[in-house]
Amino acid sequence: MTISKAISKIEDLIPQRSPIMMVDEVLAVEGDDCTCQLTIRQDNFFMEPDGMIAEPGVIEHIAQSASAFAGVRAVAAGATEPPVGYIGEVKNFRITRRPKLGDVLITKITMGPEVQGVTIISGVTCIMDETVAETQMKIFVRED
Amino acid sequence: MLLENKFFRVLDVKRDDNLQAIYRVQIVPDCNVYNGHFPGDPVCPGVCNMETIKECASLMLGRQLRYESIKQCRLTALATPVVCPEVNVTVSLTETGDAFQILGQIADEKQTYMILKGIVRYNLSE
Repeated sequence: MTISKAISKIEDLIPQRSPIMMVDEVLAVEGDDCTCQLTIRQDNFFMEPDGMIAEPGVIEHIAQSASAFAGVRAVAAGATEPPVGYIGEVKNFRITRRPKLGDVLITKITMGPEVQGVTIISGVTCIMDETVAETQMKIFVRED
Repeated sequence: MLLENKFFRVLDVKRDDNLQAIYRVQIVPDCNVYNGHFPGDPVCPGVCNMETIKECASLMLGRQLRYESIKQCRLTALATPVVCPEVNVTVSLTETGDAFQILGQIADEKQTYMILKGIVRYNLSE
């Protein structure tokens, strides 16, 4: 799937807004994989005084990357509003270091099949080819 | 800490002699996170509840803890500042060498919102 400029604006793909937007851009979508990017800025909601973000911020980034992936699919299917998803479960999250100011997070999401409104995704987050975090998640999408 | 007195406020603590405590906390309704999660539809971000569990464990030890891993965290009900203005955050730590196993739960008198099992430590490797 090619992402056109018209649907690549992140606000069209995820329902979260400032101060808790944790994806800047969808870089690529290919089959069941999607790659998203986030640069850690000073005004990040999870930024701590030591210049690094709190660990749950990385989980939120992975969740919003999955949300953006769902948004790409929804927009391609004709939706006008980004779908609202909730984390139902986090499994096997591991983090080796906290991202710091200026780090660029590249996260690859692999989306499993949807079963009764629940989708299992896995996410791997890298900074400059170093894997810093990974997790699996169950995500519920709210049907409005 | 990141979310203490911003997203949650400790109202009361019940501690026992072991590494266990129950924190009664207010979910601060005017926290700015609700401007974006979601506009006009305030829902507690699950990750903020995970951070709250860790911060309560940190308060119990008097020292900042970091998640190294979360084996499982189940979000069993949707938490909002309207649905659950006050909750009990139950934390229990078990020392395992240079880290702690953490069990955390967020619940009120009506229901359970989160059950978490993971590993925390004082410092993640840099």
